[in-house]
Amino acid sequence: MYDFSKLRAAVLAGRAPDATAAARDALAAAVDPVEMVTAAIGPAMDEVGRLYEAGEYFVPELLLSARATKEVFQLIRPLLAQRGAKPTGRVVLGTVQGDLHDIGKNLVAAMLEGSGFEVIDLGVNVAPQKFVAAITEKQAQIVGLSALLTTTMPAMKTTLEALRAAGIRDRVKVIIGGAPVTPAFARSIGADAYGENAAVAVDLARRLVAP
Amino acid sequence: MPARSTSPAAPPAAPPPAPLTSETCDPLPLTPRREDIYRCLGYARRAAPPADVAREIDRVVAEALPHLQPRGTYSLYPLDGPTEHSLAIGGLVLEGNIGEFLHGATRVAVFVATAGGAITRRADERCRAGDAFAGWVLDAIGSWAAEAAAEALLARLDPHLQPDEGRTLPYSPGYCGMELAEQRKLFRLMRADAAGVALLPSLLMEPLKSVSGLVGLGPRALVRTDLTPCDRCPLVGCHMRR
Repeated sequence: MYDFSKLRAAVLAGRAPDATAAARDALAAAVDPVEMVTAAIGPAMDEVGRLYEAGEYFVPELLLSARATKEVFQLIRPLLAQRGAKPTGRVVLGTVQGDLHDIGKNLVAAMLEGSGFEVIDLGVNVAPQKFVAAITEKQAQIVGLSALLTTTMPAMKTTLEALRAAGIRDRVKVIIGGAPVTPAFARSIGADAYGENAAVAVDLARRLVAP
Repeated sequence: MPARSTSPAAPPAAPPPAPLTSETCDPLPLTPRREDIYRCLGYARRAAPPADVAREIDRVVAEALPHLQPRGTYSLYPLDGPTEHSLAIGGLVLEGNIGEFLHGATRVAVFVATAGGAITRRADERCRAGDAFAGWVLDAIGSWAAEAAAEALLARLDPHLQPDEGRTLPYSPGYCGMELAEQRKLFRLMRADAAGVALLPSLLMEPLKSVSGLVGLGPRALVRTDLTPCDRCPLVGCHMRR
């Protein structure tokens, strides 16, 4: 088995140039890029998430590791596609209508991409129908809704109602998050999950797409 | 042709009362210390990132500084005896526990401070260009700068204090003590436009990195100078809990 220790260490340390160099070395050694994901990148990002939950890593470390894996994925994605490998899952993300905050959503997007998800980021102030259209067009398995104001949280409920009206609610899992959002609120509007932070959101996403 | 309404039009809102004094500061002095930056990035007190992470952070901090435009304004009013559940400033009544937080105060300053819009635009640019790390750090620095601008602005109240007086902590709408909707009343009580800050219909402030609120001034023996909104807030799991 190929020694992925350099690649794992570079991802863990958030050193993007070293991660890309290690990935190139592996490809030059005819390593299957799928194995690179399952044996190196995935376990490294799992460890990053564990260190964050343990309070040893903070958001900057998360993002540097996610940047490292994103650059590796940019290198190997065409090769993965050639082998018929699919992304871990397809996620539509957006900040709900009336809200302009996007940094938390961007953090989740970076972590999801670093974990092999395909992310369709709709940006901020996203109308419910735009979520519906994106989920339908991209056949997303998950939609993530972000709100950072108590006054914009109701738009999460409105968005879920739009999914139901469009007849696609059963086809997609809904994760909601943002500073004022709570698990109780998530339950009250019928969301599938509440994402307390980006690391938790990735873990939730993986479980929600698992067969 | 639609029928003409016969109900009387609502009377226009009474103009806000004249403040005792107002001040606008542009720019406000900011002194970023490394430990403040690390704290705004989520590092625990006295914790520091590893050397290579610190180097990456330092690069973005250097990028952020020219994009900060700290400024602010306040208006000072006499206070009409706050109750536990409300606070009257001139003719305007603010609902909520804010009355408890400002108990003992004889004057109240209504303020808004901002880091300016450029830092948010820069953060957005970096995110759109695919660098979530730089975007996030820039955004966090913008949040720090808004709070630091508010601290620098509120220090300008100190010359208004008598020797035996103190000031409360600042209290902002949307946190324990004042519903976010009360923001509209705050904005009627000051010239936020003088500091370049506008209130959107969603109650977001523009620029995004802005802080508004109230500070009470009064006898040190009576005002609470250490009562935080967290002391009365039921959200025990909030990541911003002090």
